[in-house]
Amino acid sequence: MAWRNLGRNRLRTALAALGIVIGVVAICSLGMATVALEQQATAQLGDLTNEVTVSSGADSDTDGVTGEQVEEMRAIVTDARVIPQKTNATTLEARNGMEARMSVTGVTDASALYDLTEGEAPERLQSGALISNATADRLGLESGDPVEYDGRIYRIRGFIESEHSFGFGGGDLVIPVSGLADQRHYDTVTIIAADGDAAGRIGDRLDTRFNTEEDEELRVTTFGNRAQVGGFLDTLSLALLGIGGISLVVASVAILNVMLMSTVERRGEIGVLRAVGIRRGEVLRMILTEATLLGALGGLVGALVSLATGMVLFHVITGDATGALGWASSRYLAYGFGFAVAASVLSGVYPAWKAANESPVEALRG
Amino acid sequence: MSVVELRGVGKRYESGAEIIDALKGVDFSAERGEMVTITGPSGSGKSTMLNLIGLLDEPTEGTVSLRGRNVTDFGEDERTEERRSALGFVFQDFHLLPMLTAVENVELPSMWDTSVDRHDRAVDLLRRVGLGDRLTHTPDELSGGQKQRVAIARSLVNEPEVLLADEPTGNLDQDTGGTILDEITRLKNEEDLAVIAITHDEQLVEYADRVVRLVDGVTRT
Ligand SMILES: Nc1ncnc2c1ncn2[C@@H]1O[C@H](COP(=O)(O)OP(=O)(O)OP(=O)(O)O)[C@@H](O)[C@H]1O
Ligand SMILES: [Mg+2]
Repeated sequence: MAWRNLGRNRLRTALAALGIVIGVVAICSLGMATVALEQQATAQLGDLTNEVTVSSGADSDTDGVTGEQVEEMRAIVTDARVIPQKTNATTLEARNGMEARMSVTGVTDASALYDLTEGEAPERLQSGALISNATADRLGLESGDPVEYDGRIYRIRGFIESEHSFGFGGGDLVIPVSGLADQRHYDTVTIIAADGDAAGRIGDRLDTRFNTEEDEELRVTTFGNRAQVGGFLDTLSLALLGIGGISLVVASVAILNVMLMSTVERRGEIGVLRAVGIRRGEVLRMILTEATLLGALGGLVGALVSLATGMVLFHVITGDATGALGWASSRYLAYGFGFAVAASVLSGVYPAWKAANESPVEALRG
Repeated sequence: MSVVELRGVGKRYESGAEIIDALKGVDFSAERGEMVTITGPSGSGKSTMLNLIGLLDEPTEGTVSLRGRNVTDFGEDERTEERRSALGFVFQDFHLLPMLTAVENVELPSMWDTSVDRHDRAVDLLRRVGLGDRLTHTPDELSGGQKQRVAIARSLVNEPEVLLADEPTGNLDQDTGGTILDEITRLKNEEDLAVIAITHDEQLVEYADRVVRLVDGVTRT
């Protein structure tokens, strides 16, 4: 019955459904776009945002972070790794005579800082060296080749993924910290926390421990970006969802209008229904069923279109179309569909109520 | 006991400053098995009276009884139940639902009622009014007379005791009107109905067992 009523004025039904489809597509694809952006942003920043970097502060007496300070940090930060590093610069000469200027990092806990493309970063770097891919390529160095720093020879034990090093000052050449023994203090201390929030908390703790308002002993840097980036994405997704929401309101008004039109148009018919003994509740249900069908129809088409749109968005933003199928983004399809049905039912309530409660005589009079 | 009874019924319409007494102290009754026609000039209150009997409207004065029960103060839901079970309506312009077939239109009054299946009764009624071969036609595929027969079948699907018809032949030509009245008379006898029909048409008066004339909201017999 409800189906047939919808079928009667196909054009109007189609237009109303189109309104819903647009609304659903708007909210779904905007929602999915934010998910894609978020995933992409976290993928790119994820490695950095959980790190805290500590270096000597503006008011420090020592030129670097002292061993005692490192020990104190270790005492405060028990749930994350504290990795002190000494850095310098040097010039390496290749066998073919080529020279390259590069940073040197002395670190023991190399495996925590560097991902290697070849070989394995030792838990404790006691001997040997790691060198960045790019530098090794440039100088034609291979595994086992010797490099010299400060009069000592180190054999190359692994190659560092080059792009990975951009978070630190160095990483071109990594040697045991003992190799930079003539530098008394550490230049930087990297603390690797579980995630960005933990890193933020650690940063705050260190800051309150070592620094006061006037006196900065240590410079504590966290990639507050995580929070900032997250905040930005939240704002963005709110804005996008807001736009989606507006289009949904427009869609609802369209449904309301269609349902009102169709009940006004069928006033006489509804009067007949009431005259022949159809109960008010039954008239109400009939019209609500129509509205629900309309919403479900529009919602379904909308969800399908949105899925396609979402896959295109994911493909463009993250390069992986199947990401759209993940719950984080596909739940927007469920939201969109749910909204379409809910909005249609809500928009149907007033016309349905109005139609059901009209006096049959008035309705029959036309 | 009369199946329909009006006692001192008045109906006053107040629209703004204008007050119209459409009915003034009307007494009326009808028995099962009889056909009563109501005639009278336009605006004399015929439709008003039929709507009061049909529980589509409430009187401002007097009492309305159906099947021996005073239904004057029934609420909307009780009126609906009463219309569903005791009354059948036939209108001048048929009022069939365009998207339903003939048989579905006939089943309409019981369509939401899961406790009874009126399909067989609907088919039977359509056969009896000569539309056995038009069951699945939609209204726009039927002539005026055929539509009115579908409407008559619809009015009887719930086995009512009273059939109310407001100018049932008003939109039909003389011959078709005659056959419709034959049909109603036959069904009246078969189903033991009280038929109350409004007409302008002298033709209909010939079929009546009794004629009530309304002038300015007052009955003249
Ligand atoms: N809802 C209403 N509001 C105000 N006045 C009304 C209303 N319904 C009917 N009337 C008035 O009541 C009077 C009787 O109307 P009614 O429809 O009963 O006449 P009728 O005898 O059926 O006329 P017709 O033969 O033209 O159908 C008329 O004067 C009409 O204008
Ligand atoms: Mg009338």
